[in-house]
Amino acid sequence: MYLPDFEYFAPDSIGEACQLLSQFGAKAKLISGGTDVLVKMKNELLAPEVLVSIKNLEELKKIEYVPGKGVVIGARAKHNDLVYSELLAKRYPSIPGAAKQMAHNQIRNSGTVGGNIVNAVPSADLPPILIALSATVHIVGAKGSRSLALEDVFTGPNTTCLAPDEIITEVIIPDQKMTGSTYMKFGLRAAGALAVAGVAAAVWVENGVMKDARIVMSAVGPTPMRAKKAEDFLKGKKITDELLAEAGKKAAEECKPIDDYRASAEYRRNLVSVFTKRSLRKAIDEGHV
Amino acid sequence: MSIKHQMSIEGNDLRLDFDKEYTQIGKSVPRIDGVEKATGAGKYAGDLKFPNMLYGKILYSPHAHAKILSIDTSEAEKIPGVKAVLTSKDVPDMKYGISPARWDENIFCIDKARYVGDKIAGVACIDEETCYKAMKAIKVEYEVLPTVLDYRHAMDEGMPLVHDNYPRNINTEIHQDFGDVEQAFKDAYHVREDVFTGTRAYQNPIERHSNVCIWKDDKLTIYPSSQSPHYFQYYVAREFGLKMGQVRIVLPLIGGGFGGKLEPSGLEFVGSVLSKVTGRPVMMSYDRLEMFQHNRGRHQGTYRIKTGVDKNGKILGCHTYFLLDGGAYTGLGIATAYYSGALLPLTYEFDNYKFDGYRIATNLPACGAHRGHGAPQPKYAFESHLDNIAKDLGIDPLDIRLINARKPNTTTVNGFGIQSCELTACLDRIAELSDWREKKKKGLPQGRGIGIATGSFVSGAGYPIYRNDWPSASCMIRVNEDGTSATLYSMSADLGQGSSTILCQMAAEAMGYKYENMKIVCGDTETAPLDFGAYASRQTLFSGWAAKRAGEKIKKDILETAAFMMGLPNEDMDLDCVDGVIFSKSRPKVKVTTFEEAAARYFKLKGPLVGTGVYTVHRTGGYHKGAPVGTSPAYSFGVQAAEMEVDEETGKLTCLNFWDVHDCGQVINPTLVKGQIHGALYMGIGESIFEQVQFDDKGKIVNGSMGGYLMPTALDMPSNVINETVESYEPVAPWGVKECGEGSTNPTMGAFRNAIADAVGANVTSLPLNPEHVWRAIQEKKAKDKK
Ligand SMILES: Cc1cc2nc3c(=O)[nH]c(=O)nc-3n(C[C@H](O)[C@H](O)[C@H](O)COP(=O)(O)OP(=O)(O)OC[C@H]3O[C@@H](n4cnc5c(N)ncnc54)[C@H](O)[C@@H]3O)c2cc1C
Repeated sequence: MYLPDFEYFAPDSIGEACQLLSQFGAKAKLISGGTDVLVKMKNELLAPEVLVSIKNLEELKKIEYVPGKGVVIGARAKHNDLVYSELLAKRYPSIPGAAKQMAHNQIRNSGTVGGNIVNAVPSADLPPILIALSATVHIVGAKGSRSLALEDVFTGPNTTCLAPDEIITEVIIPDQKMTGSTYMKFGLRAAGALAVAGVAAAVWVENGVMKDARIVMSAVGPTPMRAKKAEDFLKGKKITDELLAEAGKKAAEECKPIDDYRASAEYRRNLVSVFTKRSLRKAIDEGHV
Repeated sequence: MSIKHQMSIEGNDLRLDFDKEYTQIGKSVPRIDGVEKATGAGKYAGDLKFPNMLYGKILYSPHAHAKILSIDTSEAEKIPGVKAVLTSKDVPDMKYGISPARWDENIFCIDKARYVGDKIAGVACIDEETCYKAMKAIKVEYEVLPTVLDYRHAMDEGMPLVHDNYPRNINTEIHQDFGDVEQAFKDAYHVREDVFTGTRAYQNPIERHSNVCIWKDDKLTIYPSSQSPHYFQYYVAREFGLKMGQVRIVLPLIGGGFGGKLEPSGLEFVGSVLSKVTGRPVMMSYDRLEMFQHNRGRHQGTYRIKTGVDKNGKILGCHTYFLLDGGAYTGLGIATAYYSGALLPLTYEFDNYKFDGYRIATNLPACGAHRGHGAPQPKYAFESHLDNIAKDLGIDPLDIRLINARKPNTTTVNGFGIQSCELTACLDRIAELSDWREKKKKGLPQGRGIGIATGSFVSGAGYPIYRNDWPSASCMIRVNEDGTSATLYSMSADLGQGSSTILCQMAAEAMGYKYENMKIVCGDTETAPLDFGAYASRQTLFSGWAAKRAGEKIKKDILETAAFMMGLPNEDMDLDCVDGVIFSKSRPKVKVTTFEEAAARYFKLKGPLVGTGVYTVHRTGGYHKGAPVGTSPAYSFGVQAAEMEVDEETGKLTCLNFWDVHDCGQVINPTLVKGQIHGALYMGIGESIFEQVQFDDKGKIVNGSMGGYLMPTALDMPSNVINETVESYEPVAPWGVKECGEGSTNPTMGAFRNAIADAVGANVTSLPLNPEHVWRAIQEKKAKDKK
């Protein structure tokens, strides 16, 4: 119920942050918005002796378009920064569309993109749409930096491939051929509920034919999951309602849901089937929404 | 009856019109506590601070069923800032509860813990953070015992016992039999049996349970978050062997109770002893999870109902068999068990009724009184069952209710006397508002349905919770010396429902005074006379009688003084006082005087102007076992209808339109009535669709938080809610009032379930009506249709 005692650092540079993280090793925890870290600490699931905050790293807050690179979203951009971003509203409204479905206003005003990724819960709402849009992440560590496809970051529930001294600095959405994308979340109430299942779809449609599709499912596996069989099935086919329904069925077969107190695995499979079909239809008909 | 008076003041042309029958009631005056609550200035128990105050916590059992082998507090006592540590050895071992035969709870567990959350030890420290550290340092050795978690199997051979004195884990067994049900089934044209199941819900009031205890010398003062100062005074005095006069209960503002704050929470007992041993005030509170564990929320049950009807759907007889999951202790749950069957015959008239009920002990948190006490889940089952019968017979659900609807001046099969009852008017009006007939004729679009259900509730319980022969309610009004204000002293409890406001309205009306000039001291046992507090929807009628009578006493004194001042005889009730103005009815030219002047004069001549009022319920109910439960001077009635859209692929529900028409007698404050009905709908929607306290296989709550226990948000409320009241006057009540706080919770779940059935033809038989349950029912129906 109460936060344990800890030492607190808020460095001014990424280098310093990485250095602190590597210096304190397992004793340290990086904190961004704190909406996951502080909750875990209060619930005694986490007891770091040192918190390293990245709140002073102004350069991680940007959302901008870099020609040749794509849309760059800083890891410290808050959910509401996505919701109110003019750039995203113009290019990929499906990203603010997903951010809007998260949590409550208070949490959207403090939770960040980087935190949502690295917290790595299967029900996280941002990764599906970002992965559907082929996002990569840039990672800086004490020993250097690297870039990675976002979908390769996740290794299991609550785990990623990041080393403890590595920091995600930005998420990059490359320029793309996808003509539409959307994320549909199914929670048990209209706001402030985690996804029981969610599906993000991105489609490249030309003349009524599905040239390419990416389908990413949340809360139905250990990590955000691509429905690759469904994607392959769709490729090159003429778009019909039956086709999309069939893709939904394939996605439902691919997902790996569990029973928990929110819903049964069987029901989650049904949701995946329904929302794959619906999100594909929406992305096909309405573009990036 | 309208008293339309015209008068001139001092030959002036100023004329006062009393167009309305009443000047203080029947109006949506602003809440008396509105500003302090809205600005945050008001103090709830958790806001209180006293010099030298300590903070206390209760260590609870992490096991659902475990023998306590040893408790070692030595490490905890060494922690700086820890001022006291208590275990069962340090507190009285007298069992407490509500009904003497089932006093089964101890301040701290003595031999074993019976649910995750059962109370083991207490600590008092300089701050709450230290309390958590101290609790961690207390070493308790447990021997974990096999558990009873599923009430449906708790009676089975070989199951462990939660309490040794409840064989087969039967906490309460009820068998009531009126008329001849078997014969009724034989005579019936159609007999149908259905089984429905409910789920555990928790009241989850926004304000956490807190209290401050100050035990100094031989006086114990407690500021609790409680629904009844009197019962708390009684429980606490009894537990510690004190005289009632040695215990003072003072209510701060209360942030919701809904039944959950009527029983002792344990905090007041532990806090009292901690205060006694430390000699300092002690603030105790539950965190959110601890609130869920303490519980006293809705019993979940299995409801088997068999009903026989004639060709027209007229009910001939009904047999109910209810199995309730009571949890680890009894508390108010004994009343719940009786209520569950007793209130069922209220809305419909039939002559043969049999009720078999079992309340089962399990190793889960204890259940108790939760808005609508015992009635809502059985009502959900019965209203669903009735729709099934209507469907079997091809009768419109509205018609089967009209055919059976209770009429005024009738007696229920189990002996409850009903005077006012406008159920038929409610049904007729809701049919109009919802366009029911038209919708039934034309049909609604695919996936849309409309459902209806009725409800009724006591306007106060006929008998108190513990046996006593005190009057049911009393109060006192003292008019300030200069007559510019008057204070109502009442031991009622304003939990947010607005009782302080309406009691002041009622007092002012009776006095001939102005509501704006009223003050209230409510819930202080040292200044206000006895009233049993806020439960069973009693305060408008019960406390209202006391306020009215106290007000009339003041008015009598005022008019006597005024007659003297005006040089008039006060005979034949010629003088009257309305809205603060005293005038002669027969001599409109006589110069008027004011309440203020007369009151000031009274004080100068005779001393304090005080009026007291008292109300005792007339004897009600029959003579069978359990007859007192469900008795009341008057009953509210109501009907709700819901139009729902069902997403057939996901089972997701959207309530498009919601109607509520209520017979709550005369309305004292229309806005507060509306607030109650909207609040009941909010809770009703929560319990219907979202809320469910869930446990793991060890009996631990898995969703005991605001994020895990899903209560509806504003976005989940129907966008279109229409509520109305019908013309009604209850002869045994002050100004014809009745309750509307709990009765409005009764129809909601049934109305929703029936709307779903209408929309997609699926019979959802278990609560909550969440998307997965609805989806499953749709799958079942599809599978059946295929065959
Ligand atoms: C009431 C409530 C409701 C919520 N509802 C939702 C919801 O609907 N949908 C949803 O998806 N989530 C929800 N969340 C979870 C949470 O708000 C989000 O996951 C949020 O995005 C976390 O961001 P943060 O900045 O607060 O992370 P923090 O708590 O600061 O960090 C989370 C984790 O990420 C790591 N981390 C943070 N930033 C970086 C970085 N740049 N590089 C490397 N590691 C990093 C931290 O070390 C930590 O392990 C909810 C949380 C609460 C409390």
